[in-house]
Amino acid sequence: MNEESTQTHPDELLPWYVNGSLDEDERARVEAHLAGCERCRTEVEYLSSLREQVRADEVAAPGELGLRRLRRDIRAERSRQSGGAARRHWWTPALAAAAVLVITIQGVMLMNMPPEPVVGIQPLGADYEGVVVQVRFHPTATEARIREALQSVNGVIVDGPGALGIYRIRLVGVDKARPEAVSAAIERLRARSEVVAHVAGE
Amino acid sequence: MSRAVTPAEGEGGPALDALLAAIADGSERALEDFYRASHARIYAFALKRLGDPVAAAEVLNEVMLEIWRHAARFEGRSRVMTWVLGIAHHKVLDLMRRRGRDAAHEAIDDSLADEDTPTSFAVLAGADDAVAVRRCLEGLSDAHRAVVHLAFFEDASYAEIADIVACPLGTVKTRMMHAKNALKRCLESLGAGN
Repeated sequence: MNEESTQTHPDELLPWYVNGSLDEDERARVEAHLAGCERCRTEVEYLSSLREQVRADEVAAPGELGLRRLRRDIRAERSRQSGGAARRHWWTPALAAAAVLVITIQGVMLMNMPPEPVVGIQPLGADYEGVVVQVRFHPTATEARIREALQSVNGVIVDGPGALGIYRIRLVGVDKARPEAVSAAIERLRARSEVVAHVAGE
Repeated sequence: MSRAVTPAEGEGGPALDALLAAIADGSERALEDFYRASHARIYAFALKRLGDPVAAAEVLNEVMLEIWRHAARFEGRSRVMTWVLGIAHHKVLDLMRRRGRDAAHEAIDDSLADEDTPTSFAVLAGADDAVAVRRCLEGLSDAHRAVVHLAFFEDASYAEIADIVACPLGTVKTRMMHAKNALKRCLESLGAGN
């Protein structure tokens, strides 16, 4: 039996000394011990070899094949969620139509998003686009605050969120030919700085 | 198509963080980049435990789907790969259960009294032998193999391992002690047999 108690050997820490993950105190303690303990130096040698062999074991990962499988599953999940709808943004034509109708209702904005896609309604005029700005909202902004911000400028969501969370907002009733009206609307959105992270004209 | 993985390659800490944020924003492109940067390590972890390439590929796919659905859940309290391997750990256990393998039963080894095993010359020689080490690793229980893989393939700290396999720090250290002693006994017996 050893005269030394096993408690004096930092056995528990040696594997993590070998992989370099000990904090400074622990590492210093182990190194101080190793300087005077052959038993533990041998142990470190053993653990280092073990680590080398574990790392050298080649693994043939699925690579691009696995990526194809992943893409397929994501597509399947997406089409399940949208109920197999062919269009990515089912509400766009419906909202555009609603926006056009609402202009005539005393200029008061009623954001009424239909629960079902309204098939067959086309926006007025093939290239009716009006004034569109790009907005990114703060991740913590509530729906109520977003709604209020958009209503303050008679804004309608026509597209988005894209990969970066950018929405395209049509400023209903704002004339493209009146840049000061456009700037005023942008400034009004910017003023809601806790809701609107970024806004810019297109 | 398939590729050998270098341990902890492409860690790119900040890169994975940024990709995860983009994935949370819905970027499929970011998910693909994330896959390329991390899939080999996720796969290696699953394969070492399940021993079956098909099962490991299934775990990899499920982990990536989980990342796709729940990237926003990452709170930044650990490294990205620690979080990802934690997900992989759960998926491995799920798969083992589905296939009728009871990981809890396998972990009974932990409670066996374990004497400190001396590191003889045979042990040192065996530790240099890739085939011997691989064979002896396969003889370990899943719980022990997991700790050894995370410590030496991933170079994870004992705290990170505790996070990944959701067990106390003390248990991680105990498992490693048992594992390295069991490996010594196995390498010793293989050496004696030569």
